[in-house]
This record gives sequence, structure tokens and C-alpha cells, in this order.
Amino acid sequence: MKRVVSILSCVVLLLTVIFTVAACGKNGETDQLVIYNWADYIYDTKLTDFKSYYKDLTGKDIEITYVTFDTNETMLTRLMQGDSNVDVVCPSEYAIQKLIESNMLVPLNYFKKSEYRKGLSMSDEQFEEFFNGGDCDDNGVVVDSGNIEWGIIEKVSDEDTFGKLVIEETGETVSMIDYFVPYMYGTLGILYNKYAFMDLDIYDKEIMNKANWGILFNDNGEDDILSPGLTGNILMKDSIRDSYAATIFYLKESGRLDGLRNENGDLYTSLPIGQLINAVDDQLLELCRKVLTEQKSQLFGYEVDFGKDDLLQGNAIVDLAWSGDALYAVEESWSDELDDYELAYYVPNGAGNIWFDGWVVPKTYNPDHMEAIKIFINFLNKAEIAAENMLEIGYTSAVDRDLVRTDSDARAVLAEGYTVNCDYWERLDKDGKAVTEFDFDSWEEFEHYFFGGDDDDFDEMDDSNWRYPFVIKEGSVNRDLNSFGIMQDFGANNKKVVTMWNYARSAGVSALPLLGWTALAVAVALGVLFAVIGLKRWRSHTVTSPAKQLTE
Amino acid sequence: MLKKINFRFNRRAFAYPYMIFLLLFVVVPLVIILVNAFLTDDGQSLTFEHFVEFFSDAGGGLTVLGNSLIIGAVTTLICLVIGYPCAYLLAKYHASSRVLVLLFILPMWVNFLIRTLSTKAIFMALNVKLGMGTVLFGMVYNYLPYMILPLHTTLVSIDHSYIEAAEDLGADKLTVFLKTVLPLSLSGIISGITMTFIPAISTFAISEILSSSKIFLFGDAINMHFSKTTNSFGVGSVMSLVMLVLVVVANVVVNLTSKDEEVSSVL
Repeated sequence: MKRVVSILSCVVLLLTVIFTVAACGKNGETDQLVIYNWADYIYDTKLTDFKSYYKDLTGKDIEITYVTFDTNETMLTRLMQGDSNVDVVCPSEYAIQKLIESNMLVPLNYFKKSEYRKGLSMSDEQFEEFFNGGDCDDNGVVVDSGNIEWGIIEKVSDEDTFGKLVIEETGETVSMIDYFVPYMYGTLGILYNKYAFMDLDIYDKEIMNKANWGILFNDNGEDDILSPGLTGNILMKDSIRDSYAATIFYLKESGRLDGLRNENGDLYTSLPIGQLINAVDDQLLELCRKVLTEQKSQLFGYEVDFGKDDLLQGNAIVDLAWSGDALYAVEESWSDELDDYELAYYVPNGAGNIWFDGWVVPKTYNPDHMEAIKIFINFLNKAEIAAENMLEIGYTSAVDRDLVRTDSDARAVLAEGYTVNCDYWERLDKDGKAVTEFDFDSWEEFEHYFFGGDDDDFDEMDDSNWRYPFVIKEGSVNRDLNSFGIMQDFGANNKKVVTMWNYARSAGVSALPLLGWTALAVAVALGVLFAVIGLKRWRSHTVTSPAKQLTE
Repeated sequence: MLKKINFRFNRRAFAYPYMIFLLLFVVVPLVIILVNAFLTDDGQSLTFEHFVEFFSDAGGGLTVLGNSLIIGAVTTLICLVIGYPCAYLLAKYHASSRVLVLLFILPMWVNFLIRTLSTKAIFMALNVKLGMGTVLFGMVYNYLPYMILPLHTTLVSIDHSYIEAAEDLGADKLTVFLKTVLPLSLSGIISGITMTFIPAISTFAISEILSSSKIFLFGDAINMHFSKTTNSFGVGSVMSLVMLVLVVVANVVVNLTSKDEEVSSVL
């Protein structure tokens, strides 16, 4: 696919290329790696630790070019032009799907039997079943693939979602898991101001779970508004995909899909969440458009970058958010006065969306860099590095929860980052003085906060584990893995969805009253002006002017 | 053997870097927009479907355009109503008004995003509901200097003896203003209107910040097609073209109405 836009991208890329080439010429012994990642999505963009890890492992130095992007769309556009020289990229799930279908990725086979070291979260049976007949492609550098949370691998391998993807060019059927290595993951949910909810008398388990996704639409789940205080205080995400997902879930639980069937004659309500969330058709789009238009009267606005601030400053009460952003905002919202976090995160039950980002290698990569790529991915999957990343970014690492919890290096990183009073770190501050104030008095206390897992560690309102959605409270309803879907790329329906979103965004806003008022104001002003002029003329006629007096 | 290149270093050479810059970052992007507007989404063949989609108002694009035009026009009108008396007074007390003029330009030295975000903070602190009113306020606030400056320049340059002549002939103050000052400052009014209206119809940052993205303007719509979705450059390009046509039309109108007067129309 050749588009003219590539010219522009070329110009931008030129700089990268020049830098890379310049770096190549400098030292023959130095290895190269070009990383293309989300902005603010790694704990150290200089990658000092990785460089020394690489040196220890191979005895060689490595030169890293680290480039960032802000949206999957920017990244996709750049990769799809085929004019990128990056080695390893970190797109979101649907973007990975798009790249695979366009035959643009190199299979990594990171989870093939010979390379997969049995992880903690996987039973012997699962291991046998999953890797039955796997390839053997041993290269000796990947040793930590078993660190990845098993739940993600299982979810991604599901044939309903990414287990069966068809490469358009060749017609070949492949599984996404062979092409990527998960990096971060989480849920889509609702970030809200807990204390504002208390003031409105809706901070109640029963009320909130009845409203569920309806919180975003100020709907209490029983055809009435949840609270008049929410009107004008709800933020929706200015993201087509996430808003679409939330709307579909709301349509389902509010009964708006009851009795409706898709083109195959299946009831929408009978579809598993994984299928419903990806069933984009005219009927659903029309319903979405309607609901999103109605929702506008309840909105404070659409959040782009300032969602957290608006909630913290009290401008809005509710926001559609990803778990990572939400956790970060919650931790920022600590109030000494209240001795509590002001914000909280609600994960609706029954239907939800799991998202993840992962590392892939585009076909345009430099084959000489393959070893460095594998070492880099492996490096990120070390428990200690996962802890560093979670500390810095706030998102949940795809590295197994129990591994991070038990690894002593990872514990040291977290204990220091969260100033936990325990033996894992040297309790001296930068000036060499002993730290005496702690945010957590013991490792156990911190463990409950961070990892959860005991019955009383789950969220009071929704029984979920914010950070680790796969950890489920025993006996809680509608919170099993099946209630989560993974959203795929809109594919051929993309245009329809964009049109729907555009329509919903523009609906209900009209400048006509403004035009009317302005016309009225102009008419009044002109009227006054003419009246003044008229008055003056009249007066000059009736009152005899000095000139006239003279002639008389 | 190398042929000697005959390169005369004259004054024209200083213009080359800028010419190259213009070519790369103004002409080339315009061509890309034009081509994209006629290409199908897979880039394989030519099509008019993007034009059909936009002009049939399937995504509400025309409504958005209409809103933008109205808001732009109202902004310009308010700017004119506030700006003219202001520029008039500044020009009248010219000798002592250097500091005053500076006061009007001063806000322009602050980055406009910072100004707009602060405006939002003030509105939020005063419990003002964000919406059409706040957006309008933000636009007027941001574009007022662009109205005042050309007006001020024109009004200052009016020869005072015209006014004295009018007064000598018995005209009262209102008549002097309506028949002498106003017609003489017409060129300033027109360039002020262009400088305000054109940026006002294409803005998206102000509406995004001051209405929390609730007021969706044409600039927002174009922005959405390019940065928030993949594969919808076509419609986005058509919208950009429409915008471009509006700008050109505005300039042609300006040039027609100001005929031989020395108006520097701003493109």
C-alpha cells in the first residue's frame, strides 16, 4: 500500500536514519537496537540497566535509538508506509492484529515449547496441552518467557479473539501469541471521585453494581437517573474504541439489545462478550449513536489528556479510564486531610474489556539485530524490571504476579519505591540520612495493597483486584475471565464507526441560537444608532440653528 | 574535469532557503492533501466517495462546518464591536498610548495554550459551566489583539486634518465619525476581520479546552480524521480542502472590497 503521506513520514524519519547510520559508522563492535515505544512507557528511556545487562550477557556494548509515539494510529501509519527502520515496537492488541493481518510482522515464537520456561502460573497439564507439538527454535538467550502471566496467554490464544488470524496476503491462519510478547495489560473501567459519590449518597455497593456501566450514562439500571448530581459531571474518553466498548456493554445490560438479532440471526444477548464487543454492524452502530447522543446532556465533556486533573480538581466526578491511568490517578489523589485516596476505580461486572500492549518485530527490522531484540524482550520480562516499570508507569506488567511478589530483587525495587518499612532496601535517603517515615509499615501491609489476593483486599464496591484483573474473589459473581472480551480491530467497519462517532460528537450542539441572539443584538444596536441619528436630525430641524438665526 | 559552476552570489540567494522551506512544508503538504482527497482508502484508485460522504452530511460534517462558521462570524463581530472603540481611543491619544498599546499586545506574548488553560481554570474556580459561552469568550479573548492591531495602525495613519476639515464644515462628532473616520478606516476593518475570522473558523484547541471537547468544531473534526483514526485521511483531506476554499474565498472577497486600497490581506 503506497500512500503519498509516506513522503512526509520520510522527512521525519530521515533524522532517525541519519542518527542511526552515524552511530553505525562510529564503532564496529557496538551492537544496535532501534526501539519504538509509547511515550512514558518504560522506567528509564536511557536504558542504562539494559546496556549493562547486555554487556554482561554478550560482552558487547549496545547503542540504542529510542523513539516514541502517542497513538497506535500514528505508529500504524508510520509502519504501514513501510518506511520505518525500527527493530521492536510496542503496539496495542488491535494494532498488533492489524499488523499481522497485513503480513508485516516476524513471528517471534517466544512461547514455543523449547523456549518457554515453565512459569509459576501454569499447571503441568496446561503446559502440555498448550505446547503440544510446538516448534523447537532454541537460541539460548530467551530464558524468562515463563514469567509471563498465564491468563493473558490463554486469553489471547482463544479462538474467539486472536487465536485465529488470517494473513490477508497469503490466506495463512496464525495465532497472535506466536508474534508478540505481552508487556502491560489491564481493564477498562470507571474512575470516580469516591467522596463526591458519598456526598451524592451513591457510594453503595448495591447501587453501584446495579448501575454498573450505567454510571457513565447516569443511569441507575432501573430506567431512572443515578443521581442529579452526576449530570454535567461525567467525562467520556475521546477515543472511539473505548467509548464504543463502554456503550456496547451499557446497551447490553440496560436491555436495549434484548430480542435483537444480528445478521446471522443470533440474539446479541446470547453472544459471548468476546464476540459481542467485536460484532460491529449497522444496527449496533445506530443504537450506539442514539445512546451517545442522549448521553451528551449528562457530560462534562470528552477527556483527552486532562481527565485526571479534572477529577482531582473537582471539575468532574466520573471518567471512563484504563486501569493503568486510573491506578496512577488514584495514587496521586492521596489526601492527608481525609487520610484516604480521594479517587477510586470501579470495574463494572458482567461485561468488560481487557486490553494489552506487547512487543512485536516488524518485517522491516534489521536481521543483524535479532539477538539484541530477543535479549531486550527477555530483559523486560525479568521480575525486577517489571517491578521498576510498574512503579514508574503505574500500569500492570504482564509478568506473573506471584513472581514479582516473591522475587527478592523485585521486592527491593517496590519496597524502596513505595517506602515500605522492611529489610529489602537500604533505608537511607539521598543525603545519606536514615529514612524514618514510611508509607507502609511492613511488607505484608504493602503486599495487601499492591498485589491483593486475600478476601478483604478486593475493592469494596466491585470485588475486583484493580491491578490484577485475573485475580478473582472467591464466590463473586460475573467477574470470571469469560466476562472480559478483547476488542479487535474494526477492520472494514472502521469507516462506519468513525462516521458514527463523528455524528455523535457533533450532535446536540447547535450554534443557531447563538446566531439568533447575535442577530437580535445587531438589530437592537442598529435601531439605537438610527434612533440617535434620527433624533439629532429632528432636533436640528426644530431648534433653529445659529446660522438660521443670523440670516433672520 | 569539473565544469565551473557559475554561481553568482547576489541578494536573491538569501531568499532560497525560505523558498525551499515553503516548497517542502507548504506546497508539498497541500499537494498531498489534494491527492488524498481523491484516493480510495487503500490508495489504489481514484474516487469521489470522500466528497460524497462529506457533502451528504453522513457524519454530521456539514452541521459542524455550519456551527464553526457561525461561531467564527460571531467571534469576529464581537471582536470588531469591542476592538474598534478600543483602537479608536488608542489612536486618539496616540502620544500617551504607547504603554496602552503594549498592554494590549502583552497577552500575545504568553503562549496561547497557557492562556486558554488559565482561562479554563478561572471559569472552573468561578463555577461557570463550560459550553458555548466560554468557548466564545476564549475565542474573543484570543483573537481580539488581531482585530485591534490592524485597526490601530489604520486609525493612527489617518491624517488629522481630514477630521478638522469635516468639523470646520459644520459636521457634528457623529457625522465626522460616520462620514470621515469610518470610511477611511475601512481597510483596517477588513484586514482585522480576515485576521480574526480565518483562525476563528479553524480553531480546535480553544473549543477543546474551554468546552471539555463538548463543542465539536470543524477543526476538531479534521483533527479527528487524522490523529484519532486510521484510514480516514480521505474525508479529512476533503474537509481540509473545504477549509482551504473558505480561506481563499475570504481573501478574494477582501481583495475585491478593498480594491485599490493598500490592504495587506493575510493569507
